Amino acid sequence: MKNLTLNEQLGLVSYRNQAKSEIKPHIRVDTEICNSVCPHKCTTYVCPANCYTMDDEGMVHFQVEDCIECGTCMYACDQGAVSWEFPDPEIGRGVNWNFG
Amino acid sequence: MDEKFDCIIVGGGVAGLAAAMTLARKNLKFLLIEKGEFAGAKNVSGGVLWGEDLAKLVPDYWEEEDGGWERFINHRRLTFLDEGSSFSVDFKSQHFNETPYTGVVVLRSKFDRWLAGKVEEAIAESDYAMDSFVAPNILVEEILMEGDKAVGIRAGEEKFYADSVILAEGVNNLLTRQVGLQDSYVPADHMLTGVKEVIRFDQKVLEDRFQLNGLSGMSNEFVGYATRGIEGGGFLYTNRDTLSIGLVLGLKDLREKGSPDKKLTPYDILNDFKNHPAIADTIRGGEVVEYSAHIVSSGDKRVIPEKLYKAGLLVCGEAANLLMNAGKAIQGMDYAIRSGILAAENIVQAKEKNDFSEARMKAYQDELEKSYIMKDINNFQDAVHMLHDPLMYQKVPNLINHFGRQFFSISNRPTRKAREMMRESVKEHASWWELVKLGIKGARSL
Ligand SMILES: Cc1cc2nc3c(=O)[nH]c(=O)nc-3n(C[C@H](O)[C@H](O)[C@H](O)COP(=O)(O)OP(=O)(O)OC[C@H]3O[C@@H](n4cnc5c(N)ncnc54)[C@H](O)[C@@H]3O)c2cc1C
Ligand code: SF4
Ligand code: SF4
Repeated sequence: MKNLTLNEQLGLVSYRNQAKSEIKPHIRVDTEICNSVCPHKCTTYVCPANCYTMDDEGMVHFQVEDCIECGTCMYACDQGAVSWEFPDPEIGRGVNWNFG
Repeated sequence: MDEKFDCIIVGGGVAGLAAAMTLARKNLKFLLIEKGEFAGAKNVSGGVLWGEDLAKLVPDYWEEEDGGWERFINHRRLTFLDEGSSFSVDFKSQHFNETPYTGVVVLRSKFDRWLAGKVEEAIAESDYAMDSFVAPNILVEEILMEGDKAVGIRAGEEKFYADSVILAEGVNNLLTRQVGLQDSYVPADHMLTGVKEVIRFDQKVLEDRFQLNGLSGMSNEFVGYATRGIEGGGFLYTNRDTLSIGLVLGLKDLREKGSPDKKLTPYDILNDFKNHPAIADTIRGGEVVEYSAHIVSSGDKRVIPEKLYKAGLLVCGEAANLLMNAGKAIQGMDYAIRSGILAAENIVQAKEKNDFSEARMKAYQDELEKSYIMKDINNFQDAVHMLHDPLMYQKVPNLINHFGRQFFSISNRPTRKAREMMRESVKEHASWWELVKLGIKGARSL
């Protein structure tokens, strides 16, 4: 069986409010902390949806659109940079599993 | 809906639905709130629901032609992997064909929704047919307190009041933290990240490949190379016409050993697992239809809140971090059901005496201590810890497969005694001393 890339895998996920251009982010990341004191920047490799990325300069960026609400970053970040809430059903993103 | 409820349940996962079913049958007036578009929309499990408690909620569920479950388990397999080999313990028994089944595979988006339908039916038959509700698509943002007692919830601008609140919000238990029963930051130490794919097949192909008969199913757990040296394990379960395949990865270990450069991320490790020769041959020709991920607790007691109650409030299911993962199975859903039932029964008694005090709520935790949940959690802590020992998830699987390769090789040379082969495998992958220690630990833990 051919491996799927993460993009292909995420392409199979049903997200809520996908038609809305403006959504209320349910996770906020203080990237000042990521890019100053964080020794491991682990969220860039433990997030199963690759919402945390590192650019060529080693700077961490976060986007919430692909988030599948797993919760991993809430525990993995021990630097206090992640504020985590559940997405608002009406104006948030978040998932709608077809199988689960 | 401005009248006060006897109980508000937060969360329409298995724990919340089990509590709701119990309350409906006992004629209590309740409101169950679920943030997903429908019950199950936000939930992920491996998913075998172990034990017989489902029959307590939906008697004779197996009679239903197309119930919410996928297959019953009558074939179990535990597989040790090294890089290129697999060594399995395999058990199939027709005793497992009898109802009530001792394990059914579920897909949560379908199962929870089905169970919620059953709760709606029970509500319709209760005294509060018009006054109890299962309300999806609403996010509870706050537990309302009066002094030390929980009195209701807030969702957006709306407030709902009740004599009691049952928190069945799952492992990412923000409200349990808000009311101070769990620390506001829970470290990665006792948490695992689960990643999973659902792979679709022609049903006939699936049934032939896994020797399934009717609605029988197989569960397979994996230790060793499944996780590329990260603590944790793998699973593969048969659904009607799909497979659920995935990994649970110790999050602290993943933080320490993971790296994008070495392709040690949850999705890369999952791909490697699928490419393992033993797995690749079983999933050939399938089509991935969903990729998902969710946190799951480890079963380590240290992450279970000391107190699971407050005046007017109880915490059940994985919100209370009730879980067992000692290698041969993950038990979270059955714990969720039983604790949900116990929580609801306590609310029923509280209602009879009109006493929702902290002392009354404590009776729930006492019942939980007496139940198989806390008995097992207490008795199997050593087994839980053992699973997080590199010896167990790395050296032992390597050693077993090394031995297997020799034992099952037949060449045109004199064959050595198994004992000699074992000695060599041990020398290669561990030491006798380590094994003796492990054996003692193991004997104690089981
Ligand atoms: C990869 C993986 C494999 C697993 N395999 C197995 C297995 O094979 N067998 C097994 O028994 N267990 C397994 N588990 C564990 C099992 O899935 C959980 O233990 C179980 O789902 C817990 O049930 P629950 O009802 O307590 O919580 P959940 O199922 O998480 O339900 C909580 C519900 O509450 C809702 N909710 C949360 N907060 C709010 C809020 N503020 N407002 C409104 N609604 C809210 C959620 O949307 C959700 O529906 C696995 C877990 C994972 C991640
Ligand atoms: S672990 Fe926390 S601080 Fe570090 S990069 Fe990730 S989010 Fe930022
Ligand atoms: S909740 Fe999970 S998917 Fe979402 S950003 Fe955090 S780690 Fe990534």
